[in-house]
Amino acid sequence: MEPVEIPGGKGRLTLRPDGLLHLQWDERIVVEGADAKAAMAKVNELCQGTPHPMLVDMASTKATSREARAVFSIPCDANRIALLGSSPVDRLLANFFLGLHTPPCPTRFFTSRSEAMAWLVDSTDEGWTPGSGDMRRRGLS
Amino acid sequence: MDPSPPDDERGILSDPRLQKLVEAILTLASGDLSARVEPSEAGDELDAVITGVNLLAEELHYVYIELEERVDERTAMLLRTQAELEQLAVTDVLTGLPNRSILSNIATRAAHETAVIMVDLDSFKEINDTLGHDTGDTVLVEVSRRLKSAVRGSDVVARLGGDEFAILIRDTTEQEAVQIARRALDALQENVSVGDVSVRATASMGVSVGPPDWPQRVRDADIAMYEAKSRGRNTIQIFRPDMLDATTERAKTAAELRTALQRDELELVYQPVVDLGSGHAVGVEALVRWNHPTRGVVMPGSFIPIAEDLGLIVDLGRSVLEQAIAQMGAWVDEAPDLPAFTVHVNLSATELRRPGLDRDIGSCLKTYGVHPSRLVLEITETVLMTRGSEEARMLGRLNDLGVSLQIDDFGTGYSSISYLRDLPAQTVKVDQSLISTIDSDPDQAQFVEAILHLISSAGLSAVVEGVETARQAELLRGMGCPYAQGFYFSRPVPPERVLEVLAGFSAARG
Repeated sequence: MEPVEIPGGKGRLTLRPDGLLHLQWDERIVVEGADAKAAMAKVNELCQGTPHPMLVDMASTKATSREARAVFSIPCDANRIALLGSSPVDRLLANFFLGLHTPPCPTRFFTSRSEAMAWLVDSTDEGWTPGSGDMRRRGLS
Repeated sequence: MDPSPPDDERGILSDPRLQKLVEAILTLASGDLSARVEPSEAGDELDAVITGVNLLAEELHYVYIELEERVDERTAMLLRTQAELEQLAVTDVLTGLPNRSILSNIATRAAHETAVIMVDLDSFKEINDTLGHDTGDTVLVEVSRRLKSAVRGSDVVARLGGDEFAILIRDTTEQEAVQIARRALDALQENVSVGDVSVRATASMGVSVGPPDWPQRVRDADIAMYEAKSRGRNTIQIFRPDMLDATTERAKTAAELRTALQRDELELVYQPVVDLGSGHAVGVEALVRWNHPTRGVVMPGSFIPIAEDLGLIVDLGRSVLEQAIAQMGAWVDEAPDLPAFTVHVNLSATELRRPGLDRDIGSCLKTYGVHPSRLVLEITETVLMTRGSEEARMLGRLNDLGVSLQIDDFGTGYSSISYLRDLPAQTVKVDQSLISTIDSDPDQAQFVEAILHLISSAGLSAVVEGVETARQAELLRGMGCPYAQGFYFSRPVPPERVLEVLAGFSAARG
């Protein structure tokens, strides 16, 4: 399906034919609480109660507000989240979120898109523990 | 504009972001948690450090806010607790009224004429003793509610302790204070219902009005309140200076009463109880008199309440019982042929609660060779309020001894006929207040007849006291009243005249 814009205009969400949700934030934006709420509402709207794994493209996101991080801790229709970034700043932001909050579902940070995709579709990998992060093992070293 | 990243040759130390970062950290360290550094678009390690410092500063800011909120919340809680504790220190916990301490504080701040109304419940001890402390507490709460409803918003009702309350009226006149006291007295006229028990909770009140001298107002109101008690209770007395003399007199009487007991100054006189059908005397009631060395004969109304207050009533009662039983023993020896008659002795509520009373009476009867059936104990109905109480058990034991029991002053308390049926009593003495007008008031005569009928229906015999005229005696006889006593038949006589008087009844009526 076509990407739908997140209200607020800072990102887009796509439910791909293979069942993967793809949330793409624009570069150099600050994700505020309202943006986070709008994104989660869109996720729930597209999923219609059926959980899907989600890839969050956060490469070059400038910052995530405290309120936004709190919103991302609330359960939604994503059942597995891969945070995809590239820079040391992305890593820090992801780590900060995973360290200070308890994600509602298995969540990991990746710098490799392919590894992230592989993890999202690999339902046998249940090695997630809340707050574990584990980003080094997943390609960010 | 974001600073540009340094080129490798210049090295990180020359990167302007580093200088900004150092400054921001110094600002943060000084306590300004709003300091932030804008990261560059490079997103490199230095930007990661900058972002991390920004995020940590933000978290620290929120931690501080939450901490401050928590401190504010806890401080507010402590202040509330402190206020509650302060309130407790000046409040009577049971009734929620101000206590003596705060009333005194308020009173000492008064600038003009002040009135204190001292309020003391009339029979609270009996309520507590017979119905239990829970009932007593309920009565106190209700009394405090009624007192508050009787005063104005500017007046202060306080509980001083026990069954003692005080009302403080500032900037007032005697007339106004008495009006308020009357309203308070009226408010206590209706019985207090506790479960299925209806309790009379009237009070005696003393009023003192004058300059705002708290200790004096309290002392005077207290003296006036005791005067109200001695004048029949459920009444108001305004303090007058001559009451101080009465108080002194009372203190003197109290001291003398102690020695009177040791010196055997208390003597008994006896009033015949007459069988209205046969005209024979069937018994005599022992009545105590104080043969005072200087004041002459003092009637019991002047010293029994003092004896009760002083706790001397037990010794006094013991002395009266022994004298009466010993006297009966002497009469039996002296006139063995005279038809059997009984001696009636009044027993106070306090004596009835004395453990071992039954043993003492049994032993005394034995000592003087008096058959238990010759003794009738008269008990005021106000002590007979509850079933299963210690008093009720004592009555049962006395009855087992073979002693007869008579309920005294019937018609002045709260007894119900159905309850009388459960008591181990054989006779009921109808109070003289009920029969004083039967010869002039047909309605009252009809009422007394109904009471006599009820007593008879309950399987009890009635004795009417205070019969003063032949007409009253005739009417009572016509109503089927079995026994009576009073001046019409005989005034109380000293023991040495009793046999002669009794013989006179037998001779006169055949």
